Amino acid sequence: MPHLVLDPHLVLDKVSIHYDGQAAPAVERVSIDVAKGDFVVLVGRSGCGKTSLLNVAAGLVAPARGTASINGKPITAPGSDRAVVFQNDALFPWLTARENVAFALRLRGVAPAERARRADELLALVKLADAGDKCIWELSGGMRQRVGLARALAAEPEFLLLDEPLGALDALTRERMQTTLLDLWTASDVGVLMVTHGIEEALVLATRIVVLAPGPGRVVQTFEPGFSRRYASGEAIRTIKADPAFAAARGELTDAIFEGEAA
Amino acid sequence: MTVTSYTERPGHKVDEADGLSVPWSRSSPKRKGVSARAVSVMTILVVLALWALSARLQLVSPVFLPSPVAVWNKFITVARDGFVDATLLQHAIASLGRVFAALVAAILVGVPVGLAIGISTIGRGIFDPLLEFLRPIPPLAYLPLVVIWFGIGEPSKILVITISMLAPVALSTASGVRGVSQERINAARSLGATQRQVVRHVILPSALPAILTGLRIALGAGWSTLVAAELVAATRGLGFMIQSAAQFLVTDVVVMGILVIAAIAFVLEFTLRRIERVLVPWAGRE
Repeated sequence: MPHLVLDPHLVLDKVSIHYDGQAAPAVERVSIDVAKGDFVVLVGRSGCGKTSLLNVAAGLVAPARGTASINGKPITAPGSDRAVVFQNDALFPWLTARENVAFALRLRGVAPAERARRADELLALVKLADAGDKCIWELSGGMRQRVGLARALAAEPEFLLLDEPLGALDALTRERMQTTLLDLWTASDVGVLMVTHGIEEALVLATRIVVLAPGPGRVVQTFEPGFSRRYASGEAIRTIKADPAFAAARGELTDAIFEGEAA
Repeated sequence: MTVTSYTERPGHKVDEADGLSVPWSRSSPKRKGVSARAVSVMTILVVLALWALSARLQLVSPVFLPSPVAVWNKFITVARDGFVDATLLQHAIASLGRVFAALVAAILVGVPVGLAIGISTIGRGIFDPLLEFLRPIPPLAYLPLVVIWFGIGEPSKILVITISMLAPVALSTASGVRGVSQERINAARSLGATQRQVVRHVILPSALPAILTGLRIALGAGWSTLVAAELVAATRGLGFMIQSAAQFLVTDVVVMGILVIAAIAFVLEFTLRRIERVLVPWAGRE
């Protein structure tokens, strides 16, 4: 029975991932459901397959068993309905920042003037209004990630897939980027699936945290922290982080991540 | 990018303010002001002086070693009145024409072949053995066969030069293509790029620095094949000029011709580096 899809959903259903030449599966029977407006964060120790799962959602890796689907349609290849932002920005250095942002529009044959206008809007959205003409190598790491984010948004995706986008940034820049991410997410109705190593980052950003454990990768726990909703309704990020509830949640999440690991 | 090993870029350049530019020689204030360029100029001047001195003292007969002044005078007369029915400029233009015709042919064939090698397994299976077979053969060895097949006209000269340029162009392109970061390709695909668009918008521009390096190497290879190609029944060209002069034992024209060939090669190399800097300013800065 084809069921009616009211809201767009990005669904991984009992997905197992098995890489060629490896005895054990990397991920076994993991199910994740991202609805529009969700901010789902995958955390877990190294080797738990969080990036592999993101790549399945992106259509870059095919699951051995189980299905990945978007709005009920199976995912077989990458598509601009699920734009990816990578850890190393993966920007194109032969293009300016503006041209990078406009890349998806250029692929679709949007007229140059129109795509420059859209790109400038998006650059302003990620607070890089003046950087349009800059070359990529003139930008700092944080600025590059902003350009990468704007480039992904230009594709007007229903879902954003973020593969440790802030992993390579210094602590201060990372904190600033977290609020940028939250602002973008609040302003749009995009659904986000993000992989991160940062425990605090996961708590600040996520509407739902999925904790994975390695050997083979599987879901061990799910949290719904709710701090990002508080940010969305106007509370300052510093106040949220100073809340004792935040510290308690951090302890709980840390325990969940390191549970079962020989100390 | 990994294929910038031949190129010398501002970012990578070793500190020339030092007399020694190896990592273990620390810059010391004492050696300040001795630049590599100054040393190079000195070297050239010393070689010229030794040459002039030995010619002046007639250590070697002028038939074998004409003096720098004689060579310079020859340069003026050949430039003005010509040698074997053509002026120096006409010889140079004939040679440059052949090399550039060959370069265009080598780009038209070599870049697609390199793309095929880098992108597809079948392409690599087809072209890799062919190129590996062709690459080590000196042009003089296949020149006679080319003449048997295509005669002694202009096309066979251009063909020989093209063959010598093909391998560097194709192999550099292929290694450039293989060096394209997977993440960049994935990013483009997730932004909606088709395979064709990935090649056009990601792989080709990513490989451009490597392709340009390949062209630079190819131009060097082609320029050195030129003389060999012009030995075969040419009526014009720098190689032909040198060859005719040698037959008449006009050594000053031979020496002058060699210096002109060297000077042109130097200018070509310099120009291509300039072009690289304009076309691929991002190379080596990632």
